[in-house]
Amino acid sequence: MAAVPVEEAIAALSTFSLEDEQPEVQGPAVLVSTERGSTISPIEYSDVSAYRLSLTEDTKALNQLNTLIQDGKEMASVLYTYRSCVKALPQLPESLKHSQADLYLETYQVLDLEMSRLREIQRWQASAATKLAADMQRFSRPERRINGPTITHLWSMLKLLDVLVQLDHLKNAKASIPNDFSWYKRTFTQVSIQWPDTDSMREELDDLQIFLSTRWAILLNLHVEMFRVNNVEDILQVLIVFAVESLELDFALLFPERHMLLRVLPVLVVMATSSEKDSESLYKRNDPVIPAFPDLHLSPTAILKELSNYFQKFSSQTRLLTLPSPHELPPRERHYLIVNHIGAIRAEHDDFAIRFASAMNQLLLLKSTDGADVEWCKEVKGNMYDMVVEGFQLLSRWTARVWEQCAWKFSRPCKDVGPSESQELSSSYSDYEKVVRYNYSAEERKALVELVSYIKSVGSMMQRSDTLIADALWETIHAEVQDFVQNTLATMLRTTFRKKKDLSRILSDMRTLSADWMANTNKPDSEFQSLQHGGDESRGNFFYPRPVAPTAAQVHCLQFLIYEVVSGGNLRKPGGLFGNSGSEIPVNDLKQLETFFYKLSFFLHILDYSATIATLTDLGFLWFREFYLESSRVIQFPVECSLPWMLVDHVLESQSAGLLESVLMPFDIYNDSAQHALVVLKQRFLYDEIEAEVDHCFDIFVTKLCEAIFTYYKSWSASELLDPSFLFALDNGEKYSIQPMRFTSLLKMTRVKLLGRTIDLRSLIAEWMNKVFRENLEFLFDRFESQDLCAIVELEKLIDILKHSHELLSKDLSIDSFSLMLNEMQENISLVSFSSRLASQIWSEMQSDFLPNFILCNTTQRFIRSSKVPLVPVQKPSVPHAKPNFYCGTQDLNSAHQSFARLHSGFFGIPHMISLVKLLGSRSLPWLIRALLDHISNKIATLEPMITGLQETLPKSIGLLPFDGGVTGCMRLVKEQLSWGTKSELKAEVLRGIKEIGSVLYWMGLLDIVLRELDTTHFMQTAPWLGLLPGADGQMLSQNAGESPVVNLFKSATAAIVSNPRCPNPTSFYTMSKQAEAADLLYKANLNTGSVLEYALAFTSAALDKYCSKWSAAPKTGFIDITTSKDFYRIYSGLQIGYLEQSVQLQPNNHDMLGDSVAWGGCTIIYLLGQQLHFELFDFSYQILNVAEVEAASIMQTHKSPHSGQGWDSMLEAMKKARRLNNHVFSMLKARCPLEDKMACAIKQSGAPLPRIKFENTVSAFETLPQKGT
Amino acid sequence: MARAGGITNAVNVGIAVQADWENREFISHISLNVRRLFEFLLQFEATTKSKLASLNEKLDTLERRLELLEVQVGTASANPSLFST
Repeated sequence: MAAVPVEEAIAALSTFSLEDEQPEVQGPAVLVSTERGSTISPIEYSDVSAYRLSLTEDTKALNQLNTLIQDGKEMASVLYTYRSCVKALPQLPESLKHSQADLYLETYQVLDLEMSRLREIQRWQASAATKLAADMQRFSRPERRINGPTITHLWSMLKLLDVLVQLDHLKNAKASIPNDFSWYKRTFTQVSIQWPDTDSMREELDDLQIFLSTRWAILLNLHVEMFRVNNVEDILQVLIVFAVESLELDFALLFPERHMLLRVLPVLVVMATSSEKDSESLYKRNDPVIPAFPDLHLSPTAILKELSNYFQKFSSQTRLLTLPSPHELPPRERHYLIVNHIGAIRAEHDDFAIRFASAMNQLLLLKSTDGADVEWCKEVKGNMYDMVVEGFQLLSRWTARVWEQCAWKFSRPCKDVGPSESQELSSSYSDYEKVVRYNYSAEERKALVELVSYIKSVGSMMQRSDTLIADALWETIHAEVQDFVQNTLATMLRTTFRKKKDLSRILSDMRTLSADWMANTNKPDSEFQSLQHGGDESRGNFFYPRPVAPTAAQVHCLQFLIYEVVSGGNLRKPGGLFGNSGSEIPVNDLKQLETFFYKLSFFLHILDYSATIATLTDLGFLWFREFYLESSRVIQFPVECSLPWMLVDHVLESQSAGLLESVLMPFDIYNDSAQHALVVLKQRFLYDEIEAEVDHCFDIFVTKLCEAIFTYYKSWSASELLDPSFLFALDNGEKYSIQPMRFTSLLKMTRVKLLGRTIDLRSLIAEWMNKVFRENLEFLFDRFESQDLCAIVELEKLIDILKHSHELLSKDLSIDSFSLMLNEMQENISLVSFSSRLASQIWSEMQSDFLPNFILCNTTQRFIRSSKVPLVPVQKPSVPHAKPNFYCGTQDLNSAHQSFARLHSGFFGIPHMISLVKLLGSRSLPWLIRALLDHISNKIATLEPMITGLQETLPKSIGLLPFDGGVTGCMRLVKEQLSWGTKSELKAEVLRGIKEIGSVLYWMGLLDIVLRELDTTHFMQTAPWLGLLPGADGQMLSQNAGESPVVNLFKSATAAIVSNPRCPNPTSFYTMSKQAEAADLLYKANLNTGSVLEYALAFTSAALDKYCSKWSAAPKTGFIDITTSKDFYRIYSGLQIGYLEQSVQLQPNNHDMLGDSVAWGGCTIIYLLGQQLHFELFDFSYQILNVAEVEAASIMQTHKSPHSGQGWDSMLEAMKKARRLNNHVFSMLKARCPLEDKMACAIKQSGAPLPRIKFENTVSAFETLPQKGT
Repeated sequence: MARAGGITNAVNVGIAVQADWENREFISHISLNVRRLFEFLLQFEATTKSKLASLNEKLDTLERRLELLEVQVGTASANPSLFST
């Protein structure tokens, strides 16, 4: 098998297309934990001996210390995560008192396990102190014979000291440990009664008790151990100097080391000053708080004060003891609050992100270029290296800020919980709430979110480029080292150190152990070869960069040797490590050595690239609260107190567009803390708690986020749908516009990494949206059902808003189509049912409320609610309540839209009809029409017996009204004749029936108007496509070319496409052309739609046919029957005059009893029965009007006072009005339902007119309407 | 000052160091490429997940449409008389 070079094989992978649509809005979420490779030598410096520097002793000691540090850290996690057992111990009920002994035993066994851990800590600290002290003594003897301590060794000493300090601090802080211990001791005394020989155990217990109850027991013990032989001051001094110098330089320190030095320093000072020598002057720092544990900080001043009680000699150091402690510091101490630095941080972040990206691009460009120039190569890679260094330093600074702010906040709990909260409430808040929940102002939370997202995004940016830049980094480091050892050292050896044999030997050792003389031998490039060998004399060695970094051991040895050179073997060199006082080395060389020395220590961080990033971006500490959990005596704090969640919540609540994309960043804190709990603290229960909280929080987060998205899109669409002219006229129009927010990137998140799980946020949101849109529709329908028919305009508007927001949201998220959801919520999915929820609601509303209780005003074309109390009170569900986002989003928009809706809430007219048509559509409208027509025929059927009843009570004959009695006489006569006898109660019933028929017909008229309008619009849109042209006489002309433009267009397009030989799939174009023909046919067929009103009239006419014989009796004589007629017109005439009289008598303007629809109903029936002329001739009120006219004329002639007309004015006025209205109705009917033609031929040969000819309705016409109730 | 420095057999150490550099070049080369391979796999997984998610989304939509259509067909076939013309 032919071997493929690894590099080529890997490069081939990049040919896969791995585009990913997900934006980077979350942190790196460590997938695989990486162990440190270089900073801590993975092989425990066993390779140091290969360099033969006689460092065996040192290495051994170093490894011993490192093991101790490792153990100590684990002890510290045990202590930190220690939770009191006593709280969980059960109390025995009275009934079980006899088994108290068993309980003691069980308790003892449980506690014994915990106490054994404490005992282990006690033992460990004793041995650690002994070993550390021994180590210090061994390496600090002035006359020592062994090499060391190396720099790494110094670091290890400091680290171990730090572990001991932390352990001591924890032991002091954890109150539950002595508690548990005393309980344990009690059970022990109970249990051990039966045991023989418990003295040693008791002794051990006493020991442990002393250890646990003595503050600073570990430090005191260490102190004793160290000063057992009085010569550790030297090394303490060295450590102090080293720490102070490192802190001052601050270049090579990442924040964990910085904090470590800060923690150790006060303790070192105390230890050192407890000897005779004076080192107090070195301690000049004044940090009020130093982070130690997530929720436990150290205060150097407090430590100094407290320790002074134990260290007599130190207590004389008054300057250090008078430093103010954190709570005494004035509030102007603002260094710790991120909010004061966020501006600078933002600028740093933006600048760095751009430069890092550009360095990356340069590097990629370089990689894709063959035979690039060596200098350019070096420059690009060096630039990359610089960027990485800068990035690490930025991350370290930022994360340190977060730590320090936390420590500061913990040291300064908030005093007032909020102005609105009452005093007793605030006292009930737990300490943790005071230091966390109420301790961060909105500004501070915002700044923290921002900083967290900067840290996380820079971290993940660097993390992603790991393998891309690794070799460039190695190459640069290699080049730096080689340049130093091959060139700089060579120069130094030739010049400064020529005479100094000792020093020059060290320098050449440095060269020996790290120089890579033949870095280029495997590159067969002759040019470089010659450069390498030839350039030796003139400009130092040229070496081809090799992508290999020095090992930890090499760095360790180099640092040691440099240290040896500059210190000259004297540990207590005055003026610090690289201070040049008393040194034989020139300043220039010293400077070079110093720079290289600190660079070396930073190399290791860079080599541990991903581990360093993980450390620097680890914000998991923001979650931990073990210390406060214990002091608050609760099992866990509510989620509102959790800082990560507070940040998420703040982003969601603040509705700030800038923060929104960072909303997932705080969740990365949970990732970090879970990792910390598992890997560092190694406590399963902590992980479980974090997991539970994350589960809970993420649920709330999704709900809140969806809510925010929904509200935003809803308000957006509501504000877009507001009338622009209305907005323009407003002074405060901007309150109806909404701030744009970008949810798009969040909507693209298909992989949110959370505790090792991958969550498809997008699908969660889509699911929620599908649900909430349906709920909203449901709510809107519920709301409509609780209101009357007039609310349909509001309903349409709200559905429009919802639809528009759906449209806007669909651009970013795939959710169910709106029509589908609407159909679903309307219960309109079935193919065979045409009644939707809305249609049936409208129908039942019309039946029970609209038709009986609304009256028509013919002039305004509106129905309004009658002021009369309805006969049947209408039962309606109460208006459901909902959040503002179920209406229009925000409150302001709600009120704007509501005031618009209120304009239409008092009547039913054309706008309502438009909304109704839009909402019902062509699917349910026919069903409703059919239902209403059936209603008409039912009404007629119920009217029939009543009319018959009224007919019966009519007097045998009613003649024409005589003129001689005048109006008064006529009225009297009419009243006498139309007493209706026993059936007078039927009168009102019949009138109401007629009114309902009239209302339905008028309603149909309105519907007709609206449908016509729609049809016209539709026609205007389709006509040009169908090739319809307006003709000269207002008729439509079809284009004579045969096929309509739309068919032509698609046909020619198809032909053109198919003729192209490269057309892959012509069939789809043929289909398209066929579909165009189908569309043409369909639209043409739709052009001449009938009129709903005409149809309704025809239907009514057909319904009346049944009663034609009863209501329109053919006169026996063949001539017009005047006196004995009991036709419908006569009845209606009688009803009308009675009704007019009644309405005049009641109140002058109380005409609205039944409204104008009575006239519509009555006149339509009369007209359809063919009795219009009869009615106009013989109507009582018309006759009276004639009489009145004559009377008025005679009065005019005789100049008499109009005594006879007196009192009838308003009556006459009402009659005139009724006549005008009736004429209006008749003329409309004549226009829409002409009967004249048929009347004309309805004259018999004999000359006798047929009263009415049957108006032919095609039966099939009705069958096309769906039956009601299906 | 005798204690500082003092590589006892400087020439041998130098040769060993040189060999060490070369060996480590090979090791870093291999390990870097293994890491790249690993990175590729991670990325591959991520993008595949993305693609699967979008596929899932489409399937979800289709499924719901299908459900709707099934219901509609169900209502239609429950009343065959309506379509017998």
